Amino acid sequence: MPPESTTTSAVESAPTSFRIQKERTQFLGLTFDECIQGFFGGNALLAVIILGLITFFLFREGSSFFSQNRDNLSIYRLAGLEYVDLGRQPEKDHAALSRYLADLRLRTYQYYTAQKALPAKEANTLLADFDLYADRFARASAPIRSQLMDWSEIANDIKARHLTNQNLAEKRRQLLAAGKSAEAAAVKILPINFAVEVETITTTLPAYAEASSTFARSLEELIVAPPILPDVDLTVRMARFQALTRDFIASLPATLESMKKWDATVPVPLSQSFTAFIFGRQWLTASFWQDWYGAMPLIAGSMLVSLIALTLAIPLGVGAAIYVNQLASPVEQRLIKPAIEFISAIPSVVLGFFGIAVLGEFLRVASGWSFLSWVTGFPFAERLNALTAGCLLGLIAVPTIFTLAEDAINNVPRAFKEASYALGASRLQTIIRIIVPASLSGIVSAILLGLGRVIGETMVVLLCAGNRIAIPDFTAGLGVVTQPVHTMTGIIAQEMGEVEPGGIHYRALFVVGLLLFFIALLINYFAQKIVRKYKVSIG
Amino acid sequence: MTAPSHFYTSRHSFQRRTEGTIVWAFRLATYVILLCGVFVIGNICLKGLPTVTGSFRSLKQFPYVTNTFLFEAPESLYIFKHEGVKREMGDTEYRAFREAETARATAEGRPVPEFKAQSYVYAAGGIWPCIVGTVLLVVGAMTIALLLGVASAIFLSEYARDSAFVRFIRLAILNLAGVPSIVFGLFGFAMFVLYFDWNVSLMSGWFTLAFMVLPVVITASEEALKAVPKGFREGSLALGATKWQTIRKNVLPFALPGILTSSILGIARVAGETAPIMFTAAYVVRDKLPWEVAKFGDFFFQGVMALPYHIYVVSSKIPQNAYTQRVQYGTAFVFLGLVALIAGSSILLRNKLRGRYQW
Repeated sequence: MPPESTTTSAVESAPTSFRIQKERTQFLGLTFDECIQGFFGGNALLAVIILGLITFFLFREGSSFFSQNRDNLSIYRLAGLEYVDLGRQPEKDHAALSRYLADLRLRTYQYYTAQKALPAKEANTLLADFDLYADRFARASAPIRSQLMDWSEIANDIKARHLTNQNLAEKRRQLLAAGKSAEAAAVKILPINFAVEVETITTTLPAYAEASSTFARSLEELIVAPPILPDVDLTVRMARFQALTRDFIASLPATLESMKKWDATVPVPLSQSFTAFIFGRQWLTASFWQDWYGAMPLIAGSMLVSLIALTLAIPLGVGAAIYVNQLASPVEQRLIKPAIEFISAIPSVVLGFFGIAVLGEFLRVASGWSFLSWVTGFPFAERLNALTAGCLLGLIAVPTIFTLAEDAINNVPRAFKEASYALGASRLQTIIRIIVPASLSGIVSAILLGLGRVIGETMVVLLCAGNRIAIPDFTAGLGVVTQPVHTMTGIIAQEMGEVEPGGIHYRALFVVGLLLFFIALLINYFAQKIVRKYKVSIG
Repeated sequence: MTAPSHFYTSRHSFQRRTEGTIVWAFRLATYVILLCGVFVIGNICLKGLPTVTGSFRSLKQFPYVTNTFLFEAPESLYIFKHEGVKREMGDTEYRAFREAETARATAEGRPVPEFKAQSYVYAAGGIWPCIVGTVLLVVGAMTIALLLGVASAIFLSEYARDSAFVRFIRLAILNLAGVPSIVFGLFGFAMFVLYFDWNVSLMSGWFTLAFMVLPVVITASEEALKAVPKGFREGSLALGATKWQTIRKNVLPFALPGILTSSILGIARVAGETAPIMFTAAYVVRDKLPWEVAKFGDFFFQGVMALPYHIYVVSSKIPQNAYTQRVQYGTAFVFLGLVALIAGSSILLRNKLRGRYQW
């Protein structure tokens, strides 16, 4: 029998259960398998959804910060606080000059006790004239200070009344929302006429100008006859002090001019609220005078700490990757790789504790060793500073950099290496001229991802960076690393628990988080881009 | 006289020396890293171990021995001088002692003794609630992360073709892995704690941690799924099985050990992170243990104490001195030990598994 006919008849007579085209269960027009696929696909979308949710919620909580900050800055201007701060600037500069004098006194004292080997009492007697002079200098600002005190009281009172009004308005709104219109009407709000109120300050400007000129005159008198100092270096410093004071006196009329020009009615644009956040040099919260939300100290702190960490981690991490992949014996390779991976498992909070308990103290003691005294910034007194945090962050970044860089080096084809050896290159030449350039894109992206890890790290910086909210003083050269700093991650962790949800401070922290989120995304983006763009074609 | 030189004599001694020096520099870098790691771990183990070993107490009934550091709640430590003897006591002991002494003094007709004690919070007692809290957080978060992550990995490895959509998903996963943990904390606080109104609770912590660790789980699971040979799938499909049947019967069972072991690394991350749970799940102190709740539903909506947060609290909120060192190092040691155990077993299992599944 020919085979074709059998087949045909079999199909014709096949029972329903063998029919190929079995009827499939369908949900919403989808087969079971398609449903399953849809389910898994939906799960895979989760990463996208979560990223979206993070962005959404950070924006949701953070976005109204800028309008709130504008209100914050507007009231600063309307209530005249800005005006008073303008007038206060000379007082601040004068205080800085006083500090310069105090520093000079300390130096002179040290000169007497250390170089002249005088006893402390005698040194102080010799400095009696100086002290008198410094005292007179410090008291010179008394006339403007009393004027400023009156002004700040008025300004603060205007601001306080405005805040009370805001609270009352909020209360009324809540009562209305609850349907208690009678009680809402009972809430009395006394409107403030800012222009009139602030005039009580601005009209007394002549008195301030008078005080300012008295101040300038007394400074001029003082500057003519400074105390004579015993050493050349000290005399030079005193001359510098005189020059600084003359500059200061010359700057006083400009201050008055800017106060005359000041106008409370100029509105604060939204862009200023934005720039005040990004470039603001002060992060000052819960202040009795004026709150500032400037992210610059935090950004600078994060950058400084990351820089220290990477300076330590790049040579170590990349060096170790090259060594383990190219130079180490198989036994070393088998042991070192898991060991370094294991270091990455040390929780950051444990490292932070280690920094507080051991490393901070050790570094401080080490900075006092005489053979290290040539290092700028050594010795330092703060146990917790950028250096302590940076060292620990370096240890956190090392495993990331090591693992990824080692991967990149491992991906360089054997043929590259063999060709290089065949041309007579030595082992080191091969590594430096062939292997490292071929894997450079991978190494750079490893470093970038290490940076991402370091910038996002919270507990170590929170515990060890010293948490002083100020832009580190970069004029100190390398010594800047020994200053305490605060970071973006640290400030969120420290202050989030204490703020009232919905307030401006709360929103400011979310904006910092948003900034951090975008920095992380940017770093990630560049890391991937570098890998894709500069990949050496392996063919 | 110089040695006779011929073509194969090694020359360029300067070059060789430089090469040797540079190789040594690389070696040094490697060993400096290892030394740092060993020093940190060693320091904490050496100072923390005595806390745990010194806290064994004998009991009258069943387990007969207990460890007061591991199995008791934290207490304040009181240091005081009484009748010329300097004593250190935990809160409950101190109160009992004070009452007993006062009663004794009144019975004997002496004036009531004065107690002037210096106290340090959390410096006495143990860390039992923190251990429980951490375990609960890890178990819950990993369950959620594994359920979501494995499903996600199945799609990426079994169903996905190389399309723009899939590339987009992969990009999202990569980026999610780079998001700082504190940002996850903020997000969890905004979404779960405030918006969903779950408050500071296990649920908030679970989801926050699960989302944070999701990229790790997805990547690990995908790798394990990809390691199953193509022939397994093709054989199954050739026999007429549907795609889902193939995955269920012929792919998942073989990939599962790999998925689980690689995901242990995720556990180490979940257990070790502090920042995400700071505002979402962790309490500084809580008297009740998690299972002491009025009704079952409350279990999910209660905050817990957690080891990493406790370390943060004891190392930043109380001073560093001989009295507080015990609990500081002890907590750090137990925590480090826990995480090290998890991470170590992951690395070991992974190496073992690589050896076993050679297709």
